Amino acid sequence: MSVIAVYNIKGGVGKTATSVNLAYFSAQHHGKTLLLDMDPQGSASFYFRIRPPKKFGAKKLLKGGRHIEENIKGTDYPGLDMLPADFSYRNIDLALDECRKSHKRLSKVLAPLQEEYDRIILDCPPNLTLLSENIFYAADCILAPVIPTTLSLLSLEQLFAFLDEIGQDPDKVVLFFSMVEKRKKMHAEMMRSLRERNRVLQTVIPYSADIERMGVYRQPVAAALPASAAAAAYESLWHEIRDLLAI
Amino acid sequence: MTVHPGADTWLLPDSLSVEGLLAALAAEFGLESAPEYGATVVYADSFDWRLYQQGCLLHSHGSCWTLYHGDSGEVTVQQGGPELQASCRARDFPPGGLRELLEPVLGIRCLLPLATVHLSGRQVRLLNKDDKTVARIVVESQQPAGSERPHRLVRLFGVRGYGRDQENVRRILAEAGVAEVASPLIGFTEGCRAMGRSPLDYSPKFALELDGGETAREAMARIYLTLLDTINRNIPGVLADYDPEFLHDLRVAVRRTRSGLSLVKQVLPGPVSDRFSRVFSRLGAFTGPTRDLDVYLLAQESCLGRLPPSLRPGLQEFFAGMARRRQIEQKKLVRALRAKKTRAALNAWQQTLKRRDRQPAPLAGMPVRDLAGRIVLKRFKRVARDGHALDAATPDAEVHRLRIQCKKLRYAMEFFGSLYPRHELQTLVRHLKQLQDILGNFNDLSVQQEMLRLTLKTLPAGSRRTLDQAAALGGLLQSLFQEQQELRAHFTEAFAQFGDEETTALFHELFGKRQESA
Repeated sequence: MSVIAVYNIKGGVGKTATSVNLAYFSAQHHGKTLLLDMDPQGSASFYFRIRPPKKFGAKKLLKGGRHIEENIKGTDYPGLDMLPADFSYRNIDLALDECRKSHKRLSKVLAPLQEEYDRIILDCPPNLTLLSENIFYAADCILAPVIPTTLSLLSLEQLFAFLDEIGQDPDKVVLFFSMVEKRKKMHAEMMRSLRERNRVLQTVIPYSADIERMGVYRQPVAAALPASAAAAAYESLWHEIRDLLAI
Repeated sequence: MTVHPGADTWLLPDSLSVEGLLAALAAEFGLESAPEYGATVVYADSFDWRLYQQGCLLHSHGSCWTLYHGDSGEVTVQQGGPELQASCRARDFPPGGLRELLEPVLGIRCLLPLATVHLSGRQVRLLNKDDKTVARIVVESQQPAGSERPHRLVRLFGVRGYGRDQENVRRILAEAGVAEVASPLIGFTEGCRAMGRSPLDYSPKFALELDGGETAREAMARIYLTLLDTINRNIPGVLADYDPEFLHDLRVAVRRTRSGLSLVKQVLPGPVSDRFSRVFSRLGAFTGPTRDLDVYLLAQESCLGRLPPSLRPGLQEFFAGMARRRQIEQKKLVRALRAKKTRAALNAWQQTLKRRDRQPAPLAGMPVRDLAGRIVLKRFKRVARDGHALDAATPDAEVHRLRIQCKKLRYAMEFFGSLYPRHELQTLVRHLKQLQDILGNFNDLSVQQEMLRLTLKTLPAGSRRTLDQAAALGGLLQSLFQEQQELRAHFTEAFAQFGDEETTALFHELFGKRQESA
């Protein structure tokens, strides 16, 4: 059992596309998978055509137990379920603040789900808050998509500083390059220098119109366009993560 | 098997076409149909239904094998394998997931073709207004080979969190006339029936419900007929030599019959008893050599493991010779089993058991309940007497005799077990089994050493190869002897568990009480 959080402080780096496609491959490779959409925008839920449930929100999420179980929805793909996001998640930090042991709350909520699911994938919102602390505490692996630019580097430094501050192991973080454009010289240079770090995956997810169009066909790219380069890239990413985490 | 709650299955009524059904569903859902599939598959399992017992079904389509969960229909693994002819074994599969799943379940049992069924159909996803899948429908036609009409099924698979949509699907199905619940395995079970089989119709365990009021003659006839059925059902497998378990089960049934004839006296007329004791003794004798060789060959791996690598080639040579000898013995066995004499004797046994005795034996009319307790208790006393004398220094031959006594007691308890409270009986059987296991292991080691000594004596002198063999056999003898010595140290405690006051009291309470009431 493993919990993978797809996370970056920066927005627009391909987190949701990664979560959705990794969850798809995880379920395909004989592992019952739960995708948790933590982002109040609910993009992952949208991609799977799942509407936010009525009578569900941040407070119910943090209560856990049957409040979560009743709201889990099956996707179109066998072995892959998801808990859709609710707009009220935008205030989740306030709700968390009211909980006891507020930085461990999410971990506690996920514990019973780990019995039913082989893998849990969290699609996280882009910020650095009490929720992030919860996510880092609960996750076995923090998978961070990185666009090879200077700003990304900056946000990475912020992430590691935060982990240090809350006493989390920086080795939980696994990086990979996302939305890479071959023709951009800066991308190549940044990738070369970043590769000197530990735990940077080999697979590179290219910038791709096929991925951008996921919002149109509302399916994982591998389901809609199984022969595309983007689908192959996500599959290879999944295999690399699986080997790295030995799951 | 119970039907999985997530998958409901119904028969499609004759009056309703697949198109008609889909049109009814299309009024409320979007439909997304997968391409139609169609294939003739052969279901396979071991003779004693080992996969079915685990809730699994396995079928092959050419060399493509699919193992799936019988209840939910969920595919566990799909992989290439051998083409299924008359039989095949787990080790015939290429290394991989399927073989890893099959090997521990099947053990040495082979897969036999059970039912041939033509499956065809398609899966249809039912979509809501967001084009989200909210349920799946499978319409499938299952036609067992040789049957005129296919079974047309509709299956509903729900999607988590869309219960209300599933209720709607159910309502639409009901309105369309889909009402008769069916087993999703109907093609499989009907196909088995066409082959003269039905799931779980064979088990090597002896299980017969006796009625306490039956006469001893009636009860014994039913016991013997059950055993005869086991013998007859295993004969084809022995003749075809599918796997060693057929012969093993056949021999156990023969041994049980012989034990019955010697334990339960004066229920069948004396001449009948004598005649068929000889018949079954002969059956035991001519099936023996092949079985003995099977036992050695099955121990091949563990024997090799006992030796340092340098001595192993010699032992492999030895086993190769043994496999050749087994071929010869198997041929003899087939001839003897096919012989008119054998067939006639088994038929005569059946006739005799079913017929009224012209001159009934003295105890024939006694209620079986009264007879049973007497017999079991007598066997128990015998085991207890010899067992108390058991210690680390007991000669092999006496250990062997105690082992036979235990077997007879065990068989007697199995024959009449249904007359006694289940829980108590199981406790006694468990204690007895522990003792039997240790004695059985001891005896196996004895017999194996004896066979090795005999082989050593007859090895021709001279060549390098015989030297290698002799060295390997010597090494093996040493290892077997050592293990046997270690087992001896456990004799006293093994019997102590069985022969303690509590167990003895329970035996007397269970089997003695009846005797008093007689």
